[in-house]
Amino acid sequence: MSKRIAIVEDDDAIRENYADVLRHQGYQVQSFANRQSAEAAFTVRLPNLVILDIGLHDEYDAGFELCQWLRAKSSTLPIIFLTARDNDVDTVSGLRIGADDYLTKDISLPHLTARIAALFRRQDAQNKPVEQENLIERGPLVIDSQKMTIKWHNHYVELTVTEFWMVFALAKSPGHVKNRQQLMQDSQIFVDDSTITSHIKRIRKKFSKIEADFNCIETVYGMGYRWNDAEQNASSLNNEA
Amino acid sequence: MTLPSRADTISANKGFIRIGLRTKLVILSSFLFTIPWFGYQYVWEMEKYLRYGQEQTIVGTARALATTLHDRPNLFDNQASFLASVEKGKDLYGFQIRQPIQLDGRYNDWPDFEGKAHFYQDSNIIWQEPNQAVSLRFNAAVGKYDKYLYLFFNVVDDKLVFRGNNARSIYLNDHLTLSLTAPDGEHQQYIVSNKNQGWIESFQLDNQTGRPQPINYIQGVWQSNNTGYNVELRLPLDYVGNKIGFSFADVDTPSTKATSLVGSANTSDPEQLGTILVPSPEIERIVKGMSYTQSSIWVIDKHQRVLASAGDINSASGVWRSTTSTDASEGIWPTWWHWLQTHVLHPLYYQVLTKPTQDFYDQLYDESHLAGEHIEQALSGEVHSQWRLSTDKQAVILSAAYPIYIDEQVQGAVIVEETTNGIKTLRNKALEQLFTSILAILLVGTISFFFFASRISNRIRQLRNHAEVAIDEHGRVKEDLPALKGNDEIGDLSRSFSTAVSRLTQYNQYLENLSSRLSHELRTPIAVVRTSIENLSMYPIPENAKAYIERAESGVHRLNHIITSMTEATRVEQLLQRTEKQTFNAYEVIASCISGFKQIHPETRFNFQAPNQKANVLGSPEHLAQMLEKIVTNAVEFSSDSQVGIMLITVKKNLILTVKNNGELLPDTMENRLFNSMVSLREESNSLIKNNQQTPATSQPSSNSQPHLGLGLFIARLICEYHQGQISAQNCFDPNGVQINIEIPLTE
Repeated sequence: MSKRIAIVEDDDAIRENYADVLRHQGYQVQSFANRQSAEAAFTVRLPNLVILDIGLHDEYDAGFELCQWLRAKSSTLPIIFLTARDNDVDTVSGLRIGADDYLTKDISLPHLTARIAALFRRQDAQNKPVEQENLIERGPLVIDSQKMTIKWHNHYVELTVTEFWMVFALAKSPGHVKNRQQLMQDSQIFVDDSTITSHIKRIRKKFSKIEADFNCIETVYGMGYRWNDAEQNASSLNNEA
Repeated sequence: MTLPSRADTISANKGFIRIGLRTKLVILSSFLFTIPWFGYQYVWEMEKYLRYGQEQTIVGTARALATTLHDRPNLFDNQASFLASVEKGKDLYGFQIRQPIQLDGRYNDWPDFEGKAHFYQDSNIIWQEPNQAVSLRFNAAVGKYDKYLYLFFNVVDDKLVFRGNNARSIYLNDHLTLSLTAPDGEHQQYIVSNKNQGWIESFQLDNQTGRPQPINYIQGVWQSNNTGYNVELRLPLDYVGNKIGFSFADVDTPSTKATSLVGSANTSDPEQLGTILVPSPEIERIVKGMSYTQSSIWVIDKHQRVLASAGDINSASGVWRSTTSTDASEGIWPTWWHWLQTHVLHPLYYQVLTKPTQDFYDQLYDESHLAGEHIEQALSGEVHSQWRLSTDKQAVILSAAYPIYIDEQVQGAVIVEETTNGIKTLRNKALEQLFTSILAILLVGTISFFFFASRISNRIRQLRNHAEVAIDEHGRVKEDLPALKGNDEIGDLSRSFSTAVSRLTQYNQYLENLSSRLSHELRTPIAVVRTSIENLSMYPIPENAKAYIERAESGVHRLNHIITSMTEATRVEQLLQRTEKQTFNAYEVIASCISGFKQIHPETRFNFQAPNQKANVLGSPEHLAQMLEKIVTNAVEFSSDSQVGIMLITVKKNLILTVKNNGELLPDTMENRLFNSMVSLREESNSLIKNNQQTPATSQPSSNSQPHLGLGLFIARLICEYHQGQISAQNCFDPNGVQINIEIPLTE
């Protein structure tokens, strides 16, 4: 049974473009131009994944409201924000109210579909038994590339897809410096440097919730970031001013 | 807080002397100082009129007195006034003597004896023995005191012969003959003939028999001395008419007849006697009645001899005196004011003013003969007044002369004199008050002008300072201009400025948000285009159309990059606002960055110098690295010799980071603008973007097609300001290049 994706987007052209692509991918696509119609439809039946724009017509924060409303209905429904608003405040609040990813409209269609596929894969993988070959272990860090989950000291770290790809890219080759460009490519987003910085900050914060003195992601000033294995932390502590 | 203002530098450049508003107002208010001058002129004018008035008054006084004396010949009857002429030495004038005379044969108690005495000599010889030299001369003075006529003779005689002790004749020795008419007109002769020096022995000659009878009402002293003898005597005025003569008979051998007779007139002939004028008591009585007019009054006969006088010129200050002498204001004013007046103000005023003195000395008139143009004019029938200085030039005296008519003949004149002291005192009082009030007005006026000007210039200066602070050198509005209170033009100006600045602020905010809003607005249509293209590429496309799709894709990509860059600065600003500051060692961050740069730009040599490896800074290390990256990337791009010099030093409490590259110099106008948003030298210096040639981009040095929005250094500036630092660019010479200086305060 093909997945049902709902697109809430006020711009007809984009909405239809996205819908077309997703339909090509074999998804069932419902598209809504405003919050009211979307809510009405979602009340009847929830889709498998929702793509939300934040500003809908004259409602400035309609997407956020929808997201909260949906989260209230289902805690597992994957929600992706796809918006033109790329400032930090919106990103943070979007993610904080429960979105699984926050993408800007710069994203290319293949990337978008990849994200959607990844989210579905993660959702599907939640129920499947863990297959050993999909696991990458770096000390206390366990990455399941299939489920797109990350465990730190056996605790799940609630990461968005973007964040997941960043940690994945860093942890895949510990000790290697990934510059921002590489991180962008690996996490398949196209943003400026400062967005990367703020993503890294958020990732660190999420890890710090589990381990207060988490310092495995090291900033290499002027170049990028690198993953230091927990054993090497002692040597790199000094650099993490 | 006074910054060196732009206006200052402009005026300094022009080389003009800067005259502030305050100075100008003070200069203008100095015109107030003409007021005292006008006041002074006014008072002078007033004084002129007062003088004129005084002149009229004094003439009036003279006229009034003259009127009482007109056609009263009996007042002049017994005087010699009716003579056609007077002969000096023969016609005598009895001076009014002011103090009693001691009859001692010495003339030291006679006032100005030398000047008033007449010298009788050869020309006054009445007769002499033939072939005998006359050895007798004498000085004689006549004076009047109380009811006596005083005479003093200072005789020079080679041989003094007294009357023999037993001699009966009174003629055979040196003797004095005094001949006069009694008031009743009878001729009387008196002989003074002494036996020895001492109290005089006087005799009256009987008119019929010629026998001498001793008398006692002529009193005096005969005193001999080295050169001859002195005779000082007095006789009651009751015996004295209007004619007199005296003569000395010189006897050289005792008990012989006199050899010569020297005197004022032939004493034996009543017709030849001279006249004697003693100041008339009747006229004096009348004059005395006028003496309360604060004037000095003289009545003279037509021979300009004084008949009567009253008043003293030294205290004759005119009618104004009475009104000015009392200081009515004294009671009202407090003592400190009095002190101020006497110790400060008056000494000041009397630098300019002259205080009228009563101690002046005036001795223009000889009492026996008053002279002066006004007197001559009066005696010729003209009323005349004149101003003259006192003898010592200390006072100005106003004299008026009015003729006295008897039978339509001018028989004398009344002379009234006053000093201008009264007017002067009045004028001085007026000027003192004028000066005081003007001084007060000037003081208050100048001070209030000064404060007014100060306030205005302070307010304007305040406005200027605010205006200067409000907008920084990059043209950004730093703070709002406070609207000054004050319901006047300056207040209006300030409010206008404030409005203008707040509008500018709004406009600036609009401009600053423009790029982010623009990027936001453009994002959707671009997404439309891109998703459409991507959708299109999923369909089978003719081979020759694929190139267009690719071009469209690359165009959309570039557009996307532009938009991302446009929002980057805003993003950094927003991020910085929310980034918590932490203390970190800037040296470590910079050193780490440089090791990164060495990998990113392997073709470039980085010369890093840092004498001090500890430079703690409060801020965000990531952003500091970002800033350094922007600057270094910039330096790498513009470097002509693939060398970039980075120097980190700490001076006092500041970290100074210098990034230097050799290469093209900055244009002069760019040094300040370089750190503004959307300023790029690349676009101006070469059109590489248009030609799509190799132009390293700020964030993507490897990409060829990235456009430049000139945001790199703008972001660097934002980060630098976040660290409370300053960033500046300057040209370096020899070798030519550009140096970017960053100054950030250190923390402990």
